[in-house]
Amino acid sequence: MDSAAASAIPRGQVDLVDFVDWSGVECLNQSTSHSLTNALKQGYRDDVGLHLESDADEQLLIYIPFTQVIKLHSVVIKGPEEEGPKTVKLFTNKEHMGFSNVSDFPSSDSIALSPDNLKGKPVNLKYVKFQNVRSLTIFIEDNQGGNDVSKVQKIVLYGTTDWPTKL
Amino acid sequence: MVLEATMICIDNSEWTRNGDYSPSRFQAQAEAVNLICGAKTQSNPENTVGVLTMAGKGVRVLVTPTSDLGKILSCMHGLEIGGELNLTAGIQVAQLALKHRQNKKQQQRIIVFAGSPIKYDKKTLEAIGRKLKKNSVSLDIVDFGECDDGKPEKLETLISVVNNNDSSHIVRVPPGPNALSDVLMSTPIFTGDGDGGSGFAAAAAAAAAGGMSGFDFGVDPNIDPELALALRVSMEEERARQEAAAKKAAEEAAKQEKEGEQASSSHDATMAEPDSSSASAVDDKRHKLTDDETALLEQALAMSMDDPKSTNVAVADTDMSEATADDQELAFALQMSVQDNVKDSSTHSEMSKALEDQSFVSSILNSLPGVDPNDASVKDLLASLQGQSEVCVRTLPLQKQNEDKPENEGDK
Repeated sequence: MDSAAASAIPRGQVDLVDFVDWSGVECLNQSTSHSLTNALKQGYRDDVGLHLESDADEQLLIYIPFTQVIKLHSVVIKGPEEEGPKTVKLFTNKEHMGFSNVSDFPSSDSIALSPDNLKGKPVNLKYVKFQNVRSLTIFIEDNQGGNDVSKVQKIVLYGTTDWPTKL
Repeated sequence: MVLEATMICIDNSEWTRNGDYSPSRFQAQAEAVNLICGAKTQSNPENTVGVLTMAGKGVRVLVTPTSDLGKILSCMHGLEIGGELNLTAGIQVAQLALKHRQNKKQQQRIIVFAGSPIKYDKKTLEAIGRKLKKNSVSLDIVDFGECDDGKPEKLETLISVVNNNDSSHIVRVPPGPNALSDVLMSTPIFTGDGDGGSGFAAAAAAAAAGGMSGFDFGVDPNIDPELALALRVSMEEERARQEAAAKKAAEEAAKQEKEGEQASSSHDATMAEPDSSSASAVDDKRHKLTDDETALLEQALAMSMDDPKSTNVAVADTDMSEATADDQELAFALQMSVQDNVKDSSTHSEMSKALEDQSFVSSILNSLPGVDPNDASVKDLLASLQGQSEVCVRTLPLQKQNEDKPENEGDK
């Protein structure tokens, strides 16, 4: 199965980082020196020294569009114990959300991360809600320690694509 | 060339009635807004600008972000002054307007004009600033007008909270002879982060600063060195020519007056066609950038050196700056300086023709207020211009008149 430290791929799923449309990726309230690419891009996300950090307060809003329609199975969010995210809400196919309308509609899934998750254990999502995903919005509402700054080490998305095409 | 959506928050409170900026704080503010809109839309055609007023009965959005410059300028008319500034509501409404912008790829920016005292405390301002930063909105503040205790510090803290990578700025404009818009032109608010809009700024600065600015020709050396160089070269050559002409002024003044009158009457008879074309050019000169305008610009520059009667210069030149792209100004300035150097006549240009056409020139001078065509220095200028054109090969009957003049000038 999945070891606590490694990020082994769940059976039948692929790492969706290849299908991310990088030109449209946005992150609100990120600190300029610690940006989203540190947590999302291959190579950067495995570097322990690089992480994503929030700026004005502890919330983060990450918007990830994909190059094709995908089904999302699970996510891995790694972060430090104290400043890692706690409550994370996921929204599908909602473009350009802001902090003011995160509460306007219900999230497709809401997860509370445990310290195990922060070490790399994947969180299985409500698969039925993520069948037809063109874009994903990740809203990090607060962090484990209630600090002013949230830090995320790594974000990995596991799922499948509709077509067996590889880009 | 940043793609940006901007909301401009105007202060139309009672404090802007004050006249310590000419003509009044509100008018100076309106001019500055017009210039900013122009600069933003020029630096990137997809930029949008919106305007709202913060005082009066309440915050009112005059125009939502649009790239239509005409709409923005027209909504600036008919604004009423009154009420008190409501800064927090103004910024929040601006943020909302930006949130609903059509092109989500545009970066968000708010420009606030703060002419009245700020009655909010630092905490409130900091909270607003944090919200702006969280939503990655940049903020520019123009601090003018009232300067009570604490206002500069409050605004400074607001900017420091919002500032992210130097994208937010605050500018303090003290009251004085310089127009608000002129001072703003050299600031990062106008020039953007980097060099967006610098071309427009340089052109506008060069045009409007005919005789009134700290730098030579406005802010040319900082923003547009080529334009500055061209203007300087042409200015120096004008000066040299004028000095040479001025030496003969005392003796030639009387003779030239007589000659000028005779010449103009005969020119009226013989040069009917060019007159009509140049007359129509005169009418359209404010809207068409023909070479006739180059002649005007040249004379205007020379005259503004003589005595600071630059109001007419400013009028003509601001019209030009509104109508034109900056590149053309540079081309004309270069053309002027080149034409002084190259006495080559192969191109039968309209400019030489216009310069030769003394009746056209004197009609221009007559139409300009504050210029006496019989003034000695003006006559000198005319003589020098004609002396320049004589070298060009022409088939016009005017040629003979020109040949008479150098003979007179040769006799000392």
